[in-house]
Amino acid sequence: MSEIILKVESLHKYFGDHHVLRGIDMEVRRGQTVCMIGSSGSGKSTFLRCINFMEIPSAGRLTIHGQVVGQETGELEGAPVYDYRENELVRVRTKVGMVFQQFNLFPHMKVQQNVMEGLVTVLKMDKEEAVSRARANLDKVGLLVKADQYPSRLSGGEQQRVAIARALAMEPNVILFDEVTSSLDPETVGEVLLSMRDLSNESMTMIVVTHELGFAYHVADEVLFLYEGLIHERGSPDEVLKNPQAERTKGFLAGFTDFYF
Amino acid sequence: MDEFRWDFSVVFEYQANLYRGLGVTFELSIIIILASMVGGIIIGAGRYSKNRLFNWPATAYIELFRNTPVLIQIVWFYYAFPVLIGIQMEGFYAALIGIGLNMIAYSADIVRGGIQSIEKGQWEAAKAIGMNYFSVMRRVILPQALRRMIPPFTSRTVEAVKATSLASTIAVAELLYEGQVLANTVYRPFELYTAIAVLYFFATYPLVLFSYWLERRLAIDSEMRL
Repeated sequence: MSEIILKVESLHKYFGDHHVLRGIDMEVRRGQTVCMIGSSGSGKSTFLRCINFMEIPSAGRLTIHGQVVGQETGELEGAPVYDYRENELVRVRTKVGMVFQQFNLFPHMKVQQNVMEGLVTVLKMDKEEAVSRARANLDKVGLLVKADQYPSRLSGGEQQRVAIARALAMEPNVILFDEVTSSLDPETVGEVLLSMRDLSNESMTMIVVTHELGFAYHVADEVLFLYEGLIHERGSPDEVLKNPQAERTKGFLAGFTDFYF
Repeated sequence: MDEFRWDFSVVFEYQANLYRGLGVTFELSIIIILASMVGGIIIGAGRYSKNRLFNWPATAYIELFRNTPVLIQIVWFYYAFPVLIGIQMEGFYAALIGIGLNMIAYSADIVRGGIQSIEKGQWEAAKAIGMNYFSVMRRVILPQALRRMIPPFTSRTVEAVKATSLASTIAVAELLYEGQVLANTVYRPFELYTAIAVLYFFATYPLVLFSYWLERRLAIDSEMRL
């Protein structure tokens, strides 16, 4: 088995009094694609956002590439509480890429600059090298022809593929996908999912929060079903999606089968 | 009853006085506009900051100057402030400080509003590729926010040029004051005030045109509306 890239232990997250994540344990090995499914409000997105510290976890230990992030300072609900310094988080984020539901490309930069930006500003790469790496990654998602366009000229699906190239260019250890097809027109969903499948086939390590169960079934190495801030059921796509054991999982999946054809 | 006859010859006869006044108006305006750009960014950053050490003083400053009449600020800096610090203050400087501090307060709020108008997703996307706070601001937020600040900042700039006319109340020899003096000397107030209005218009309208040009120039994409 390949090495563990990311290990999460007893992750808790509160928003005020609202206990959104209630102790999540998981690990991801190099080259794995893990899909997380569950209804809205189950905590999938929050979980993802805690991994790259877009949200600061209330408690729990994150180990990235064998290194624990932060300084342990106390305990909450039996889980360790950590204190994080901003520069440490900045460093972690260069190793953990993220693609968002709303793409969030930088509208004032051309496509190529969007992909190069992190290379030049964060990794201090020289410009020529950054340009060639950016172009290689744009090529990978099939959008090299759009390199000199502004994002506003691209379709949603194209913008999302640029966002994937932007995350890829940083050569992170793992990429987080946060419902990346949820705000796309139906006809462009496919191209984004295909790009993601290609990445998965190339052994990119990925955690994918998605409602595209077909994608999860065909691409995931492991599927996690989240319910009320806990991992309710986990296993291979066949186990979780075809033969779910827990009632909650069955109930969730039933909602999708009504219109199956 | 005699019919009133417009006679603009006095305006041309004394045009040197009006231009001299216009020169002082320009001087005040330019210094105030430059100060409000620099000061606006500094105070605006403080206003935007979550750190109370910066946020509270910036907020207090902005609200104090926005919620009191600029005329009172000018008069206060002319009469009261010198008493407080024990030195005489020329009218020109009192007007500069009064109008300048007022304009900085408005600019600061424009800066804060501009930064705040940028979607949260832009922050997140930039942070997600490992940018620190400073880089996010410099590379992603400010370039977009500055474009959005141009229209409101232009309005304030035009307001500031016109507000310099208030300096006439403390005998600063700017355009309005020179005109008033002439009007009282040659008894041609209608013609002189008309001429002054025209001169103010020609002083401010180019600013508006410049801002339109700048907006077009900085538009991300010619077909994209800001």
